Amino acid sequence: MSMKFKSFALFAGLVAATSAFAADGVTTGPHGEKPTPAASMTLSQEQEQKIRDGKFTAALVWHEMSEYTNAVNRGAQDEFKRLGIEVVAQTDASFDGARQKADVETVLAKKPSIIVSLPVDPASAASVYDPARAAGVKLAFVDNSPAGYEHGKDYVTIVSDDLFQMGNKAGIAMAEALGKKGKVGYIFHDADFYVTNQRDGAFKSTIEKDYPDMKIVAEAGMADPARAEEIAQAMVTQNPDLDGIYVTWAEPALSVLSTLRNAGNTHTRIVTLDLNEPAALDMVKGGNIAALVADEAYDIGVTVARAAAGSLVGRGAEPFLVVDSLAVTKETVAEGWKKSLHKAMPESIAEATK
Amino acid sequence: MSSANTSAVGQGLANRFNLQQYVVYLGFLAIFLFFAVVLKDSGFLTVRNLSNIVLQTAPATIMAIGLVFVMSAGEIDLSIGSTVAVAALAAAVTLGQYGLVAGVLAGLGAGLLIGLINGALVAYVKLPSFLVTLATLGLFAGVSRSMTDLRSIPVTDSVFTGFFGSGVFLGIPSLIWWTAIAVAIGHIIYRETRFGAHVLATGDNARAASVSGISVPRIRLAVMAISGTLAGLAGLLYAGRLQAAKYTLGETDLMTVIAAVIVGGTLLNGGRGSIIGALVGSLMMGMLNNGLILMGLSVSDQMIVRGLIILAAVAVSLREKSR
Amino acid sequence: MTPTEANAPVLKLQDIHKMFSGITAIENFSLEVHPGEIVALVGDNGAGKSTLIKIISGVHSPTSGTISIEGETVTMSNATMARSHGIEVVYQDLALADQQSVYMNMFLGREPVNGFGLLDRRRMIAETDKLVKELDVRIPSAHATIRDLSGGQRQGVAIARATHWASKLILLDEPTAALGVAETAKVEEIVLSLKRRNIGVLIISHSLDQVFRLSDRICVLRRGKQIGVRETAKTDKNEIIAMITGLQQQ
Repeated sequence: MSMKFKSFALFAGLVAATSAFAADGVTTGPHGEKPTPAASMTLSQEQEQKIRDGKFTAALVWHEMSEYTNAVNRGAQDEFKRLGIEVVAQTDASFDGARQKADVETVLAKKPSIIVSLPVDPASAASVYDPARAAGVKLAFVDNSPAGYEHGKDYVTIVSDDLFQMGNKAGIAMAEALGKKGKVGYIFHDADFYVTNQRDGAFKSTIEKDYPDMKIVAEAGMADPARAEEIAQAMVTQNPDLDGIYVTWAEPALSVLSTLRNAGNTHTRIVTLDLNEPAALDMVKGGNIAALVADEAYDIGVTVARAAAGSLVGRGAEPFLVVDSLAVTKETVAEGWKKSLHKAMPESIAEATK
Repeated sequence: MSSANTSAVGQGLANRFNLQQYVVYLGFLAIFLFFAVVLKDSGFLTVRNLSNIVLQTAPATIMAIGLVFVMSAGEIDLSIGSTVAVAALAAAVTLGQYGLVAGVLAGLGAGLLIGLINGALVAYVKLPSFLVTLATLGLFAGVSRSMTDLRSIPVTDSVFTGFFGSGVFLGIPSLIWWTAIAVAIGHIIYRETRFGAHVLATGDNARAASVSGISVPRIRLAVMAISGTLAGLAGLLYAGRLQAAKYTLGETDLMTVIAAVIVGGTLLNGGRGSIIGALVGSLMMGMLNNGLILMGLSVSDQMIVRGLIILAAVAVSLREKSR
Repeated sequence: MTPTEANAPVLKLQDIHKMFSGITAIENFSLEVHPGEIVALVGDNGAGKSTLIKIISGVHSPTSGTISIEGETVTMSNATMARSHGIEVVYQDLALADQQSVYMNMFLGREPVNGFGLLDRRRMIAETDKLVKELDVRIPSAHATIRDLSGGQRQGVAIARATHWASKLILLDEPTAALGVAETAKVEEIVLSLKRRNIGVLIISHSLDQVFRLSDRICVLRRGKQIGVRETAKTDKNEIIAMITGLQQQ
């Protein structure tokens, strides 16, 4: 823990130059909020009973559907069910802000008490959620909130990963895999996207500050996951002696993996973020993938649903609730899957670990 | 003279044409009635919800009008998917720096310019429009990303957002005005002018059009320009509605718009089409999105059901036409 | 109309020469077509018939030689100019837009508009109905879609269109090649009725029977050369076949 906070301060200082929200060195939320552990978000029995008696309804307005959203979605669905809240609609905006606005307008026809959502584009999201806010719907967000919205007044809370912790754990996992020394390639998400930027930054600062014998010798920004393979190709060609490559998330990591395989490279280890079946399969079979850092996405859903429900009966929530993350390795894949996504690991992986 | 015989044949033809024309309307009505019954307690039939459907589909409808011209001329325009974003961003950036009129002109101008580029390549370099616009779709997606470095640009000019987005004129939302005006003008040009007739002739039989004195390249250039400009207008509407512009705008619209146009009775190979049909097709797509969400289906189920219904609609409308 | 004009040929070709990148396609071709006269152009495949049609319809311009219409020398650089001189072509593929109505095809590229610049459908339909009746082209209605018509009906529409616009000359390229016996007879009737309209007709046909049924004169072409012109009444099939095949020299 102490290491985490030390590195955290360093990281905050590192991003201060480019990013206004982390300027004071103690913040991590999208608008500079202080993180609070998600586990602190609890409801009393009395509050839960009041919620059940309220016959509330909720709508889930997602930005897109992925394994991550699915896990969050399941957590939220389960928690709402536990609290007797009916989920009346769910939507997927395919990363399109205009479509998300349409989705919010549409679900309002069902007059939900709660909307849980992940804004596609926080900068323009105010116009997306304004009709819901005007209708008195309780808004609770995952990962980010609309620019200009005020916590406690306009929305209940933001629930997210502990992004810094994820990047940090990825750094530690890389160090473990390489015996704390070696040359590392760093493929980061080259877009103004708060979630990936913080995770990537945390990885980088962890390696640079905590592991003097490890060196990031190659850096490449990736704007489009479809380009990941070409980026990896170039990186591996220029630096054939890389010991490890960090990839910003699992989908492009698969492209990096295929590049290494095609090159017959069994030496370079990959660490990436998010659980992903093909990546995990490579890992348990002793391939290039060394570790996958996973957030407890299911818990994000549970927490955001609980916070939104609590707000209906006057239970306030901290502005920025973060769930834990864990580094999943070959040895811990079964429990990692369970903890992160709240379901058993896929058949193929179970098969391979036998 | 076999006048009795002749009129009987005419009658048969008339009946068939009616059925063809009405497929989209019948489909629309069937889906509407289904949702009205199934969702009668879920707010589907409220004025608010129904007007939302029209507002939400306004940009897609306007793109669909352009595509009816393009497809009727036997071409296709895939680039509208990224033209929308380029136009919206051009408008948003210019608006912030040079004011309202410049912003609007920049947005429409960007759309027109892209249309002219596509059109020139199709009409004069004689490349197939499918390949040209597939390439420019990617090209301008890249342009829209690099224009603002993936950032979204806020649009704060209240005149602009009122005019193109959330405003109300004579008690009717501005987006409905835009839709109505675009459909009316589009329909008249398409059905009642020589230009419209020449577009249809070009798509139907380019050689026949050419030997009849129609400048086929000029028609091809014109339809691509119309499509680009209308996609630009759609970009303005998105920017006005969202009060911001971002490179993702319009990316998911392409397939919806193509489906709306085909379901609306426009042939993929040209020579026949309908602006009103495209409007109804577009509303049908919007209504489908809306109703399936209100039914409380999971996102995956929504996609499956929507896909099946579009497939059925396209199959029915195309079968009717090729018979 | 003064008598001299009436006697002047509607079309006069004089010493037409056409070269395509150094290769001679047509040489020394001269022909007159008079009002109300049907002239047949015959020859084997590749004899240069299509090239001639294209020269007369303005698609190609001759390398040398002159084209006169009613005694006036003209230069035509495209089909639109030929049409403005009163020359219409019925192409072998008919050049009809299949998905459009009969009346839209009648006016394809030359649609009349009203005072608001909108299509004058009423006028198009009325004129189509009138013409179709006069020529006895039996189609269901002016609204019928071309695709729904038989081959003979389509040919009828194409000829009717040419008739409507041609003031001087109609070129018919293989008008019955794709038709059955009954439909061929019907189309031939229509062609013969054009004589009454005082229009010159130049017809290309592979069927010598048809040529002898329809034409007043026959012009034979072989390998780009004009072999000769015969009055139909004063020749017979054997002579024409001999001219086409070249088995008997002039």
